[in-house]
Amino acid sequence: MSSQKKEITITIDGKEIKTQWGKTILEVARENGIYIPTMCYLTKVEPIASCRMCVVNVEGVDGMILSCQEKAVDGAVINTNTADIWRERQKIMELYDVNHPLECGVCDKSGECELQNKTLEFEVDTQEFTAKDQHRPTQNWGFISYDPSLCIMCERCVRVCNEIVGDEALQISVGGYKSTIVNVKQDDDCMECGECMAVCPVGALVSTDFKYSSNAWELSPIPASCSHCSSHCQLYYEVKHESIDNPQEKIYRVTNEFEYSSLCGAGRFAFDFENRVNAKDKEAFNKAVDALKKAETIRFASVITNEEALLLQKISQISGAKLVCDDAYAYSQFIKAYSQTSGKRFYGSDLKSLSKSQMSIVLGTRLYDDAPMVKYHLATSVKREKAQVAYLHPIEDKRLQNLVTKFVKYEPGSEEGVVALLANILIDKSKLDEDAKKWLDNLDIGYISAESNVSEEELDEIKAMMWKKKSFTLIAGEDLYKHPKAKNIAKILGLIDRYSNFELLIIPPASNTMGVSLICDLSDKASGYTVGYNSVGDFVMSSLGDGDIDMPALNQQEGTFTTIDKRVVPTNPALGYNGYELLDIAREAFGLNYEYIIDLTSQLPEEKGFKNIAFDNLPDEFGIDGENKRGYLIDNSEVSSKLLPDDTDDIESFDGTIVYLCNDRGNFNPFTNKSKMFENRGELRGSKQFATAAKISDGDIVKFKVADIEFERVFSIDTSLKGTIALNPIYDIGLSSFAISSYRFNKAKIEKVGRSNE
Amino acid sequence: MAKVILSTWRGEEIDNRGKPLEDWAESGYKVPETYDADTKSRAFIGWDGVVIFDENIDAVRLAMEYAAQYQKYSEACGRCAPGRWGGRILYDLLDKIARGEGSFEDIEHLKEVSQTMMLTSKCEIGRTVPKPILDLMEKYKEQFDECITENKKSKEYDEQRGYIAKITAPCMDMCPSHVDIPAYIEGVRDMVFTDSLQATRQTMPLAHTCGRVCPHPCEDACRRANLDEPVSIMELKRLGADYETDHGLGFLHPQEPKPLRNDGKKVAIVGAGPAGLTAAYYLGLEGIKVDIFEELPVLGGEVAVGVPQYRMPIEKYNKDIELVTSLEAVDVYTNHKVDANRLKELDKEYDAVLLAFGTRLSKKVRAENEREDMEGYWGAISMLDKVNLWHKYKIGSPASNELKDKVVVCVGGGFTSMDVVRCSIREGAKKVIMLYRRDEKTIIRNTTYEEYHEAVEEGVEFIFHSAVSKIVDENNKLKKLIVNRFELVPDPNGGRPQLVKIEGGDFEIECDWLIPAVSQSADLSILPEEWNLELTSWNTLLTNGRDYMTSRPGLFAAGDCEYGPMTIVNAVGQAKRAASVISRYIYDGKVSLTDEEIMEDHLNRLKVYDKNEKITGWMPGIPRNVSEKLEVDERKDNNLEVNLGFTGEQAVAEAERCMRCYYISMVAV
Repeated sequence: MSSQKKEITITIDGKEIKTQWGKTILEVARENGIYIPTMCYLTKVEPIASCRMCVVNVEGVDGMILSCQEKAVDGAVINTNTADIWRERQKIMELYDVNHPLECGVCDKSGECELQNKTLEFEVDTQEFTAKDQHRPTQNWGFISYDPSLCIMCERCVRVCNEIVGDEALQISVGGYKSTIVNVKQDDDCMECGECMAVCPVGALVSTDFKYSSNAWELSPIPASCSHCSSHCQLYYEVKHESIDNPQEKIYRVTNEFEYSSLCGAGRFAFDFENRVNAKDKEAFNKAVDALKKAETIRFASVITNEEALLLQKISQISGAKLVCDDAYAYSQFIKAYSQTSGKRFYGSDLKSLSKSQMSIVLGTRLYDDAPMVKYHLATSVKREKAQVAYLHPIEDKRLQNLVTKFVKYEPGSEEGVVALLANILIDKSKLDEDAKKWLDNLDIGYISAESNVSEEELDEIKAMMWKKKSFTLIAGEDLYKHPKAKNIAKILGLIDRYSNFELLIIPPASNTMGVSLICDLSDKASGYTVGYNSVGDFVMSSLGDGDIDMPALNQQEGTFTTIDKRVVPTNPALGYNGYELLDIAREAFGLNYEYIIDLTSQLPEEKGFKNIAFDNLPDEFGIDGENKRGYLIDNSEVSSKLLPDDTDDIESFDGTIVYLCNDRGNFNPFTNKSKMFENRGELRGSKQFATAAKISDGDIVKFKVADIEFERVFSIDTSLKGTIALNPIYDIGLSSFAISSYRFNKAKIEKVGRSNE
Repeated sequence: MAKVILSTWRGEEIDNRGKPLEDWAESGYKVPETYDADTKSRAFIGWDGVVIFDENIDAVRLAMEYAAQYQKYSEACGRCAPGRWGGRILYDLLDKIARGEGSFEDIEHLKEVSQTMMLTSKCEIGRTVPKPILDLMEKYKEQFDECITENKKSKEYDEQRGYIAKITAPCMDMCPSHVDIPAYIEGVRDMVFTDSLQATRQTMPLAHTCGRVCPHPCEDACRRANLDEPVSIMELKRLGADYETDHGLGFLHPQEPKPLRNDGKKVAIVGAGPAGLTAAYYLGLEGIKVDIFEELPVLGGEVAVGVPQYRMPIEKYNKDIELVTSLEAVDVYTNHKVDANRLKELDKEYDAVLLAFGTRLSKKVRAENEREDMEGYWGAISMLDKVNLWHKYKIGSPASNELKDKVVVCVGGGFTSMDVVRCSIREGAKKVIMLYRRDEKTIIRNTTYEEYHEAVEEGVEFIFHSAVSKIVDENNKLKKLIVNRFELVPDPNGGRPQLVKIEGGDFEIECDWLIPAVSQSADLSILPEEWNLELTSWNTLLTNGRDYMTSRPGLFAAGDCEYGPMTIVNAVGQAKRAASVISRYIYDGKVSLTDEEIMEDHLNRLKVYDKNEKITGWMPGIPRNVSEKLEVDERKDNNLEVNLGFTGEQAVAEAERCMRCYYISMVAV
């Protein structure tokens, strides 16, 4: 066996290159600026090897070698472009072109089509080969349309659906010349993320919404970061004037650096959430200035840039108004408590480490709905690393069956106990100091196990899953942050972090929760006269367009976000904004005389790990090997505090009918719900058992109150659910969805008030 | 050696056309001259050339039909651009020529597309399909030219003719179960582990088992060995099975199991080992009622009670077993001994009976004073029964009661003896010695390199070139062994070296236990004497090795009781074939094979793997991946699975070494 990191020397096209054993010929060539054409290759997945365009010659080896898959071997002398190779590549293009419909004039892909590009590159101007044509009708998969006659069967879509997304929805229907792609989850679990469409080299997979709406070359791509969740993935808003009659710019679609990076459905399809205003409303502006001056509290949502957060912080320092942000406050308190026991400022894991983790535990999140990107990276770890995954949650999620190796159901409310039970099995007791050992010994495992309904056998199984694994991730989610015992849960997690092999990933619950929690000094409760900035208040400034003054949405702003990876990434405005912005009001009210909001980028607090880098100097790119080089990483220095958790004595769990606040379909918040493809009126979804317990039936209109909000919704039975917990979305309740300070599971009395007409 | 008109097989250049019969050259390969008892072959065409038996063959049609088969079989492939379109164009062009509409330009295009396919296709099927077609175009140029110049159909174009094709690969051919190895490896490469598992289960229900303890004869026929080292085929098999089990996906069958037929037909299977389970699975999938009768209290046969937990964890094997028993059509009866009388009943009650009771009698070492009733003399089968029944099922008592702090001598050299000595170590024996007549090299060849080295690491002492000559007891309690030493004396005539006893080389071993593990034999007392069943010279049930029916109609035999003690994969392969034959026999009373099976046997006779073939188009020097094993201190006092299997990264890297050596062969009749 060769050693894994052995240095080797190879020669490509006469250039001598030192590299490491394990890389493919294509990887080495690309890193060294040598071009080898490919059709099916995709950097972010394992080699697909369907197109065969990347064949090269290796001296002393007969035949042509597939450079995307074959590893570079020490001493190899490689020629990437001889006349023979060129001719074979040309032949392959001739084959690809057999019966490919000559409809480029109306094809969405024209102008950015890899088949078109390579057909020209290899000078295929006549068609010598023919084969009998076949009838292959177009299929509609919801957000995505599939035209098999345009499909070249490169298999990229199938790869990403499996290896990146983990849905296994797309499969190859093998049949030689008749081969097609099939969507086996078209009617249920395909999350319609559009990853398949993004990687399609031709016009076979296109957005149903975008189809026939513009030529690709007419669109201007605006580099940005997705604002919907804490992953803040790289994307381009592609804009063009609305129509010949209407010069106003409009976002037509979202694309991304699909070679290296991915998006979920919300990122890709919920792009039209901008707040359009026709002109500056001077009257509203004056009221806003007054309101902000007299505000005792500014309540806001963490769906905000770092710079806006810093501006609010500065306002608060001048005016003395309290800053209240429910998500970020809970999260910052949680991280603080975690730091106290872990000795780390932040959790150590990130999405990339997760994708390489060999064993993961997911706790306190309905992952599929809460954090698609975390799910993607978990999927990659399952596929590539054979990762074992324990998923602990009160609601089993069948959609994750192919990723999860062990579902453990616990009682809602008992999270503190569950974390303590995990601590008991994960912590390496030999490393504990006396006090920590005492804390652990004090745990009444029998009692906690009974109250949380997690059996010791289940815990043993989780422990067994760690056997011989080398990298571990514990993913904690947003059920925990607003839990009544959140602080102690965080402390126990910190202890696990300190005394086990597990790295933690504590998912920031909303878009820029991480940034806000670092930048702003937050208070827990609003009091007195309150200005709401994308939240509720006596005076409301809203990007949804439903407040006392309009504000720009995040696709109309420039600035930065702080991601789940603790990375500061830039975003640019896709669309202009004709009204007043927060900075305009701050300037007028408090003399905060910044010209642009991004003047604040370099002022983000260095003591919290931010760097003094101007917005325009932030990189926004990926390396040729896919390395994320966007923005910069926040310093994660150690902190000295080494406290212990409190004793875990009372584990409260509740029975009866429970409502879980949980969005679905990647519809994260009112902003995603504002976009035309996502706009949805939520329903209360529960099992048959829930219906029986609540004495309601499918189609009833029901009323209930949770988190101080009155809901009236249609109830529908979801047969994939079990037990007496129903799911209640909050994306359709406007800005009040950003002002919820309660735990996600709520006991609720369900009252039937009518029948739905549908 | 075969009489042929023309052959290009493996580079042969035989063309007997126009020559007098006495000058005919013969083919050096076992090509199928006759298809079956009733049918002569007209031609055989495959990856390596073409062989013509009938001088009137229509070569144009033959080429076209071969291309058509590629079209049909590309359903198993079609995963690359050159193969997918190239194959279609090949067929369309050949058909055009054969129906009298072709041109010489088409011939050029055929050559061009063939060249691209041969150079750049993903699998060998795409790379090799053009070869015999080009041969035909060259050797029978006049037939092609005639079709083109005279615009006429080839001579048999409109005639009804039989063309029977089969897809294979060197590894598939060598595997006694003919597992679709490239397909399950592709599933791993694609990281679609469910596809991988379904591919395995087409012919191999015991994916967990044969992904762990198969001695992998396939790897001896892996073409990758011609380039660097064979693919680690066996270990890639467990990935699909582990994925299904780990994720609790429910059983994935190669096809939807058919509902129970309820037509009164039923099959009895005696023995629930690998052979019995396999036959039950494939009959059950077809909805045919099967009852399995097992003497032991547990299912699984020797893999359950013979193969130790550290090699084959029972919780994994139980998944393979459950796959079978979960079928609606399959019922099992444990603790149900079938003796001669009961077998006669079954024979009456059932439409067919399959004997799959293995070989569970330990053979003697043939030493002086060898008596089974001597205290300290313990047959390997019964010793392993005890060990495994305790550890896996908590039945009986621990063997450490007998073996702890004792000196154990095992006589053997095969897998069973390895299991004996390694289990003895785990039961706490003070000293464990393996006596073997031959040398280290042979013991490795008979088992595996890993198995031998792991045993050495765990502290087993191997004494080669030795055999027990006398057992010494005291009051019927074993005390010591007198052992002869041998040496290998080369045969002056160049034959196999002979083992010759070294005079005066005898030595003694004081020990508590002698465990003979030299071989096993079948317990034939189950067979009613009056049936006069034909047996092999080594006392197993005789069949023709193709349809597995014994000399008694309706009575079939598969696995060790037919072949003699052999591998799991051999038992599975035999049982799968037997199940297929039975599934027809119970309806028509005839013993028949499918075309697929007939072709399988032809190819097996011809041999698909060519160890001298030069490999092109693959980068040499990519080392085989080796999975992590437990360290000796982590494993020798417990039953934890020793082989941890590939990491994800290793699995994909190993799968990428597979060259997908699919081939199509076809017989024209």
